[in-house]
Amino acid sequence: MTSLMDHQARETVGYSFSESTAGVKQHGFYPYTDNGGSTLGITGSDFAILAGDTRSTSGYNINSRMVPKVFKIGGDDETGEGANIILSVVGFAADGTALKERLDTVVKMYKYQHGKPMSVSACAQRLSTILYQKRFFPYYVHAILAGLDEEGKGALYSYDPVGSYEREQCRAAGAAASLIMPFLDNQVNFKNQYIPGSGEGHALVAKKPEPLPLETVKGLVRDAFTSAVERHIEVGDNLQMVIITKAGIEEVYHPLKKD
Amino acid sequence: MGSPFDINGGACVAMVGKDCVAIACDLRLGMQALTISNNFPKIFNYAPSTYLGLTGLATDVNTVSDLFRYKVNMYRLREERHISPRPWPTCPVLAGINQTTGKPFICGFDSIGCIDFAKDFIVSGTASDQLFGTCEGLWEPDLGPEDLFETISQALLSAVDRDALSGWGAQVYIIEKDKVTQRLLKGRQD
Amino acid sequence: MDHFPGTWGRPRNDVYGAYDPSYLQSTGPKTHTTSPAVTGTSVVGVKFNGGVALATDNLASYGSLARFTDTKRLRVFGDQAVVGFGGDVSDMQYLDRLLESIDIRENYSSHGNMLNAKNLHTYLAKVFYKRRSEFNPLWNHVLVAGFDGEGKPFLSSADLLGTTFSAPHLATGFGAHLAVPILRRLFPEEKPIEEISREEAVDALKQCLKVLFYRDARSLDKYSIAVITKEGIDLKEDEQLEGQSWAFAERIKGYGAQTV
Repeated sequence: MTSLMDHQARETVGYSFSESTAGVKQHGFYPYTDNGGSTLGITGSDFAILAGDTRSTSGYNINSRMVPKVFKIGGDDETGEGANIILSVVGFAADGTALKERLDTVVKMYKYQHGKPMSVSACAQRLSTILYQKRFFPYYVHAILAGLDEEGKGALYSYDPVGSYEREQCRAAGAAASLIMPFLDNQVNFKNQYIPGSGEGHALVAKKPEPLPLETVKGLVRDAFTSAVERHIEVGDNLQMVIITKAGIEEVYHPLKKD
Repeated sequence: MGSPFDINGGACVAMVGKDCVAIACDLRLGMQALTISNNFPKIFNYAPSTYLGLTGLATDVNTVSDLFRYKVNMYRLREERHISPRPWPTCPVLAGINQTTGKPFICGFDSIGCIDFAKDFIVSGTASDQLFGTCEGLWEPDLGPEDLFETISQALLSAVDRDALSGWGAQVYIIEKDKVTQRLLKGRQD
Repeated sequence: MDHFPGTWGRPRNDVYGAYDPSYLQSTGPKTHTTSPAVTGTSVVGVKFNGGVALATDNLASYGSLARFTDTKRLRVFGDQAVVGFGGDVSDMQYLDRLLESIDIRENYSSHGNMLNAKNLHTYLAKVFYKRRSEFNPLWNHVLVAGFDGEGKPFLSSADLLGTTFSAPHLATGFGAHLAVPILRRLFPEEKPIEEISREEAVDALKQCLKVLFYRDARSLDKYSIAVITKEGIDLKEDEQLEGQSWAFAERIKGYGAQTV
């Protein structure tokens, strides 16, 4: 309500010409842009999946139909061979690239200095520190980190732009996160699902979330993205899926709608 | 102050099934982050199998629903028959079954009257992004009344749980040719 | 004879009033580019079988004034890469000097010039990103064309924020709106670039420049075009758009105060 009244008070006579005398006009430089797109991660008992669409946008323009958002971290060469951690970044793509390259370097250095690959939990903590170090000029990205933990179980960590992080079973990020996340709550963590006939009212027993098999998860990821493509203009072109298991990292692409 | 559409919160969704439609809403009424009531249904009945869901500013939900009741009553007196679902330029989500043809019908509007005829589902309210995601993921064509109830309920509950301004229970109407079932869903109270 | 050297070359006080020495001050807040001054418009590029073609017009505008009409906005790097510049011309000239010094250093080093277009693009993107992170941007949007490390045709974009992307055909500025749809129609993205000939690519770029000249008010019908193949770079910097047809113009009616 106050803002409405402020507006009233500030209302002055409108001139048809521009008011050049009313102070110097500043053209600021804004160091961020939003490149759209969406990412998603789900873990299972012995795997983790990170997925993202490959569209890059600025405003209503499609820059490119093939800009992957999921990267292998700490691999031995340009192809990422030998990596055991994957990272997805969505938001401001230039910051995403910079963040990915910094983390990649850190994980490589760790391997050279300690003679063993960095654990996913250690990498997760390090990524949080990297993000928080830029607390007052943040990397404008939503990052998701995935791999296998010490017990061989799928591990997934999600971040906000300034480094708050949490280990989760599943997470959607980016432009269509608000569309995908409630679908995941329902289909992965079985939120709002109850065991039929288990009782009335408070006696009703909630369906417990349990790790899903890989093929089911792949199907959910594809469903989530085909749904997001239908209703969000910044999502589309191709679906990149990176699956990490004890056998290694598999990367697959599926076509999505290009409209 | 935020947009008038986001002050009170609320969500509404309608879906088409096989020879049936469903319409559902949450029950929250808030003033920004503060919840005032958990019993504020947003679906109104105007004739047998004609239901209207209204989201947005609560005072306008009341105003439009009352104004619409007046107009519908005048229609019934003048025409000596019940009104059937067809577009009216005041309502955000409309669902029902045409009494003459028996065809399921849903449509949605924006606040200035742009009509959206949909063959699948209509969403509105502060949880509309979330509802688009869940409906697009869960809905399929030709669902029977019980399956349609389950689908719309899961879609609505999961969506409002990811929206701070909606939730606190839900109300679902399953509308068939000559039967309407109303169900109350508890949902999370937070 | 004026015996005070400090006043030599200055406006006469008796004519122009006392000289304002604040113009000579080197103290005060440090200032950065917050908007471009002299600018170039679109750059368009397309890959074809065995190479990449890149084109710009030869105009440098000062606001809405067509200030310089023979500005070369395609800069050759080494013998297998070309950079097309859009945006601020002074920043372009700075980057050109920077690339020149790198090229000379590379050529004097024992291994010779090793930097391909892909390396060059990575380098430029990092320069852009560093400068934007210092809030002192280089106000350009560039396309880099040439070959990658595997000898495949390479075309990629970098802008003042450090944003990078690659596609079979690209355009900056107004060209992103007008030229990209033309290129996408002529060369659908599912069509392999091996099926696009050099002649088709060059013709397409000329068509794009023509449409841009019709509709982009900051463009010119004099242009430069570079064709990069394994045989080398064929750069033409003084071309004229041929076959213009302004017949459509007389059918455009109804804007502004126009009544007939």
